[in-house]
Amino acid sequence: MQWPWQKVETELEREVRHHLESLIDEYEKQGMTRGDAMRKARREFGGVDQIKEECRDESVWSWLTQIGQDVTFGWRMMRKTPAITVAAILSLALGIGATTAILTLADAVLWRTLPVPSPENLVEVLWESKDRPQGLYRGSSGSGFPDGAMRVADYFSTVSYQQMRTALAGKAEVAGHVSSTLASTSFAGKVAVARVRGVTGNFFRALQLQPFEGRLLVDADDNPAAVPVVVVTHRFWSRHLGRNSTVVGQAIRINNVAYSIAGILPQGFLGIVPGEETDIYAPLLQSPQLLGEDSWFRKASVTGESWWMQLIARRAPDVGENELRNLLDMPFSSSWMARPKSPEGTPHIRISEASHGLGSIRRTFGDPVWILFALVSMVLVVACANIANLLLARAVAREKEVALRVSLGCRTGRLMRQFFTESLMLAAMGGALSVGVAAILCKLMINLLPRGFDGMALTLEPDGRSLAATAMVTLLTALLFGLYPAWRASRIDASPALKEGAGSSGTASRRRWVPAKILVLVQVSLGVLLVTASILFTSNLNELVNRDAGFERAHLLLFDLRPGELGYKDVQLRQFYLNLEERLANVPGIVAVGLSRTRPMQGGGYSEDVKITGQPKGVSSAIHHSNSSFLSALGVPIIAGRAVTAEESRSGAKVVVISEDLVKELGLQSPVGARVFIDRDDLLVVGVAQKARYSRMSQSPPVAYVPFDYARQSATIVLRTAIPPLFTLSAVQNVVRDLNRDLPFVDIFTMEQQISRTLQRERLFAWLCGSFGVLALVLCVVGLYGLMSHTTARRTPEIGIRIALGASRGDVMGQVMREGMGLACAGLVLGVPLALYAVNIAEKQKLLPKGDLPYWTLAAAVGVLAASALIAVLSPALRASSVDPMKALRRG
Amino acid sequence: MTAKKSDLLQGTLDLLVLKTLMPGPLHGYGIAQKILLTSKQVLDVQQGSLYPALHRLEKKGLVSSEWREAESGRMAKFYALTRTGKKQLADELEEWARYASAINWVLEA
Repeated sequence: MQWPWQKVETELEREVRHHLESLIDEYEKQGMTRGDAMRKARREFGGVDQIKEECRDESVWSWLTQIGQDVTFGWRMMRKTPAITVAAILSLALGIGATTAILTLADAVLWRTLPVPSPENLVEVLWESKDRPQGLYRGSSGSGFPDGAMRVADYFSTVSYQQMRTALAGKAEVAGHVSSTLASTSFAGKVAVARVRGVTGNFFRALQLQPFEGRLLVDADDNPAAVPVVVVTHRFWSRHLGRNSTVVGQAIRINNVAYSIAGILPQGFLGIVPGEETDIYAPLLQSPQLLGEDSWFRKASVTGESWWMQLIARRAPDVGENELRNLLDMPFSSSWMARPKSPEGTPHIRISEASHGLGSIRRTFGDPVWILFALVSMVLVVACANIANLLLARAVAREKEVALRVSLGCRTGRLMRQFFTESLMLAAMGGALSVGVAAILCKLMINLLPRGFDGMALTLEPDGRSLAATAMVTLLTALLFGLYPAWRASRIDASPALKEGAGSSGTASRRRWVPAKILVLVQVSLGVLLVTASILFTSNLNELVNRDAGFERAHLLLFDLRPGELGYKDVQLRQFYLNLEERLANVPGIVAVGLSRTRPMQGGGYSEDVKITGQPKGVSSAIHHSNSSFLSALGVPIIAGRAVTAEESRSGAKVVVISEDLVKELGLQSPVGARVFIDRDDLLVVGVAQKARYSRMSQSPPVAYVPFDYARQSATIVLRTAIPPLFTLSAVQNVVRDLNRDLPFVDIFTMEQQISRTLQRERLFAWLCGSFGVLALVLCVVGLYGLMSHTTARRTPEIGIRIALGASRGDVMGQVMREGMGLACAGLVLGVPLALYAVNIAEKQKLLPKGDLPYWTLAAAVGVLAASALIAVLSPALRASSVDPMKALRRG
Repeated sequence: MTAKKSDLLQGTLDLLVLKTLMPGPLHGYGIAQKILLTSKQVLDVQQGSLYPALHRLEKKGLVSSEWREAESGRMAKFYALTRTGKKQLADELEEWARYASAINWVLEA
């Protein structure tokens, strides 16, 4: 294979040879000897290589060969300073990689819009009130969150929905849905647990989605009398239905009810809640939640008293959000069964822009993501400062080379190109590495993110746009500072630089380091902030993980069973649970078998107002519907009275065990024997349990333990074991298989695993902050080391003179140390207020518990940085003190 | 790449080469001999310096080249004027004539 520029080369050779041979022939004809003719011909022709060189300059391919030269030369220069090169490439890779990963997360959570036509017209319909609305609804299902003084909630009644939908016809399409639920499905003999969401018939019309195959749901489907149909997501279809388009029209069983598959959703559509993985959409009135034997939802759907569905709306492009809110407020307020008791408790519609989807992931992750983003930009600044510094150091070191080249006639443009090429090479290598770093970080984040048990799943793949954005910033830095030496070369006088020799000294060269010193200062002060943040968040997580749960957390095994979905009914369900309790209790190694409606430590759960007579205002309390041995299985001690007995529990006796903090909040003097009211039930308090956490390590609400309902469709089983819990696993599985072969286990975890899952947000945060801290520390050390070793290397002759004149090694070392540590300390001092300010913000955002100012943490961060700075400065200082004056002076 | 400064000699060499190629295609050796002959050996140019000029002209698109058998039986690279080359030659000859007459006018004044 011959390249075009090689062809030019050989052609030129042939051409020259032809010319010379012709000349030689001519001279031979004139009677010269061959040798004389050859000599004369060469003389007449001139220097062959020189001419070739000139021709090469004229060649169309000259730029390419010159780039080749630049790259080769650049490579050689990079290998001459391997420390700087490696440090710069690593700084680039880590800076770009980490920022890209965070941007990807931010994009997935905050910025990615729903894959539907004009998502900007989608809104989430919520309501807000200052006080809890009294008497407007009996029961509710949905989520709420505080926003300043207002309470915001997302649940509505059927009546509200219908009135709003009718009133807004033509101006907005208002559609309803309920939160998704896990259900057992079976298709062509294959069983799978899937996440099913019930939606109104106009749901997909509001989203304006087009089916991938078949059809989507329509109004006629959302009718209890209609033939049951569902649509499935592309993902579910690919994973569980064999990716075959003939599934449309076929039957799928969901919780033992047959549905016909009407269609498949388009591939990109993953749901309306970021991170949620809904597999199947069913008509609201035929969704699994409503079809249950004694479904609260079904009862709720026919009254106006229960507020149970969530709303999403697509407004017409000409209807503004304010207009929409006013339009919705009217039908909303006229749909209530009763008038609100207080003006503060009157709910009003609140519209929330939903182009990015709805849901809590945005609320819980939104602010942390911004803070992570701020932190990562600081890391990026530190990384950029490093790159700038390293390239500056290299520029100074190469001043002599540049001066030489300029004085030999190298044009500035050519010089610029050389340095540009070198910077580009650095940037390209760093950039290539950063893709790998970003990919690894994304993978790690996915593993740290909540998933599965509450339906969260983010697709995090290093995003091209994020990568491009970060790469731009970093590469720009590299190029800018990489070109600096060439820029300097165009304005410095070559002769002093040449004369100065290897080591320049004096004030002129000191001033030269000013930009580099400022960069180190910035690095160190940001380093204080980042290291402080990393210590705070990791210790916060550590504290959370090791916090007293109120129960014995070792030797606990948890799993869910959903027998109701296989067609078990009242008596059968009851028998199933009784058998289960009995047989599990007989498994060797199992000490106690607890049954509960709410899975402990999973987040969420149930809460009700617990009241006592004479006090109209109840105490909001978490409810554990649990069997008699639940407390002993969990390991929560009874401190007064007794536990609920098995007979009471199985007969659904009106008894309750309440936690000690509930006793306190209710102000009960003698709790045992007292009567409390929970949702219209009048219950006798038989015992008081010690304070224990309910669903999260970060919260501890008061808890009421009411008897388990043995006719429930599903339950969480809590096993207290005497041996490591996983050793009992196969025996437990055998017991369940004996009861029913087709019953799938859902989420088997030990309590330790379960707890760590609820701390995903804190874990992710702590992990990311921790790695930012380490990253910042490494970058700071590299920056300081780079600067100090270069300044001392440049000052070798000066140091040689000092030593020759009688300065002791200690003096020299002290001077270098003072200079380096002075710089580091200035940065540390600047960093302290910065860190305090950041901690303040984190506390305001509730990412950290409010506490005393973290002086110890700050001191630790400053200490760590100072120690690292010392290490960074020590080696250049030692090198300076071991300078041999004779060698140094001769070299200068 | 910036174009090289066109000093008198270089400009002149380019012009000479173009003029030499006017009658028809010629290889490098032929061009050199012809220039030597026609300039009555006054112009003392090393023959090799012809090649950078030829390559430059080729890059500018004023001449084109192809490999052919020369009268000696060897393969040689023949250069020929392109259309733009011919136009350029005409322009430069005119320019040269004006320049020369201006010089003449000054010298004889």
